[in-house]
Amino acid sequence: MLKALSFGRVQWLLAIGLSGALLLSAAVGAFSFTPAAMVRHIAHALGWGALSTSDTLARNVFQQLRLPRVLLTALTGAVLGVSGTVMQGIFRNPIVEPGLVGTSAGAAFGASLVFVYGGALAAPTVIGSLVVPVMAFIGALAATALVYRLATRFEKVDVITLLLAGIAVNAVCAAGTGFLSFVARDPQARNITFWSLGTFTTATWRGVLLVGTVFIPCYALTLRDAKALNVLMLGEDEAAYLGVDPRRLVRRLLVLNTLMVAVATAMTGVIAFLGLVVPHMLRRMRSSDYRFLLPASALFGAALMSVIDVVARVIIRPAELPIGVITAIVGAPVFLAILLRQERDGVARHG
Amino acid sequence: MVELRSVSCIAGGVRILDDVSVRFQPGAFNVIVGPNGAGKSTLLRVATGLRAPDAGTVHYGDRLASELSMLELARARAVLSQQVLPAFPLPAEDVVLAGRSPHYGMLPTHRDLEIVSEVLDLVGMASRRRQSYATLSGGEQQKVQLARVLAQIWSDTANDDGDIAGKVLFLDEPTASLDVHYQLHVLGVAAMLRDRGYTVVAVLHDLNRAVQFADHLMVLSNGRLAYETARPEDVPVEVLERVFDVRARRLRDAGGDGAYWSFALHDASDRGVSRRTDSQSGGAPATPRD
Repeated sequence: MLKALSFGRVQWLLAIGLSGALLLSAAVGAFSFTPAAMVRHIAHALGWGALSTSDTLARNVFQQLRLPRVLLTALTGAVLGVSGTVMQGIFRNPIVEPGLVGTSAGAAFGASLVFVYGGALAAPTVIGSLVVPVMAFIGALAATALVYRLATRFEKVDVITLLLAGIAVNAVCAAGTGFLSFVARDPQARNITFWSLGTFTTATWRGVLLVGTVFIPCYALTLRDAKALNVLMLGEDEAAYLGVDPRRLVRRLLVLNTLMVAVATAMTGVIAFLGLVVPHMLRRMRSSDYRFLLPASALFGAALMSVIDVVARVIIRPAELPIGVITAIVGAPVFLAILLRQERDGVARHG
Repeated sequence: MVELRSVSCIAGGVRILDDVSVRFQPGAFNVIVGPNGAGKSTLLRVATGLRAPDAGTVHYGDRLASELSMLELARARAVLSQQVLPAFPLPAEDVVLAGRSPHYGMLPTHRDLEIVSEVLDLVGMASRRRQSYATLSGGEQQKVQLARVLAQIWSDTANDDGDIAGKVLFLDEPTASLDVHYQLHVLGVAAMLRDRGYTVVAVLHDLNRAVQFADHLMVLSNGRLAYETARPEDVPVEVLERVFDVRARRLRDAGGDGAYWSFALHDASDRGVSRRTDSQSGGAPATPRD
């Protein structure tokens, strides 16, 4: 079983799985590509070989639509997987994920503001293309920080307070986004609605570049705190006794996390539950050790998101299901299972 | 050596510690006792550097605690709390390894892993090291936590990073929810550390345990130091009666293990409450089992 394998071995297995998922994701869709065709198109894009003109349509679909979509999907999966893992460590609770603590909803609200009122700001320039992610970040940080404040008011994170704070903040953000889609004219309104369930259909190379440039440094900085996150599992006081300043750690990680989730959300919309399922499955598969979880959650998140996207593309072909519908169907039962187990353990502990 | 000079702490307008000066004897078993609300926990939080005092200073050797980084403090002292529940399932050995985290960078060294084995052996949990911490009993969990704090300040000749007496083990009511076996075990291991030269500072509730283990006893009352002695068995009955608001009786002279005192509530106003004595505990030798 996986339990017996070293962290490195499990990570290799996950990397192999991710490669398979990426190949599948690149091959399947309205246009199907054979491995040989994919190699030809990629070689052409790199300037290594000429294609016959009859291939032009397929080539354009692959280079301009399929490839950015595959990469954006994988990157978003990695962002959400890592984010769920880190946020659970910060809140010291396995039911936490960006969708629960307001990060995604806050980002969606911030981005919707720009969609509806900031048309002039979000001009198709380099600066203009940053307005949406920046506003998404501000909204996400405000919402997440508020939930964290409310949930940790009494030293320990209490599940009920956490859930209620998350519900309240999410409701406010959703109301704001709903109001915006109400006052917005078509086609903005339809965009907001579709986008609130998450989609990769609008993937562009620019989006890939943006999410990639934000994710890589944020992730690298997060990796350095693997040991500190392990220590924080014991509690804030114990972490402080062991030389880790819990407040600074939480503040630092909260900003890094919110930043990458906000940018990914600005590009793809709200995708719930992936950040919950990824760390949960990895903990059960192998270990709660953050030196394992942080690398593994990026690989596993990317692979899982790619597979889910393939399902979304294929299941009602030629139409497409919003990604958030599938993640919710898979994720909600997992969420309930964790919640029920926590409740039972809590009772056993006190009784 | 750890010393508090004229320390005061105020919280919510209440003076929790009022001009307290104490010097924890290096290489000794220092015990702090006092009734609920006397300020024992606050005293410990200040002494460990977790909370800055509102007035006064805390000294570690010739340096101020406020000058030391959290990491420097983590290498000089460790704190055993009443109960620690990790947020996620962890094997016992990973909990102990967390104690070494102030000493290594990204990855533990071979020596760190050796120390984990040594301290697990010392507390008698070596055979349970791979078991999930959450499935251990309360007493076993506390043994694992004890191993963790030992690992944190473990000194050895192979890699000696400072004098042993400068390393302080704080115990914050470590036996509050433990049965008599685990109580004696935890305090016995602490006493063994004292014998090796470490400084031990413990907040205890049980006065008989305090007399049994203390080299140096401090009685805290209403945020002030009410009594301090290097001969804990000689604490006057009147001091205990006044501070704890009970009737106290000395059972026998020092020298044996276990009970020195029996306690009862005062008078007619307490008649509804059944008489409770504290004299039946103890009797076993204070050496660690396993």
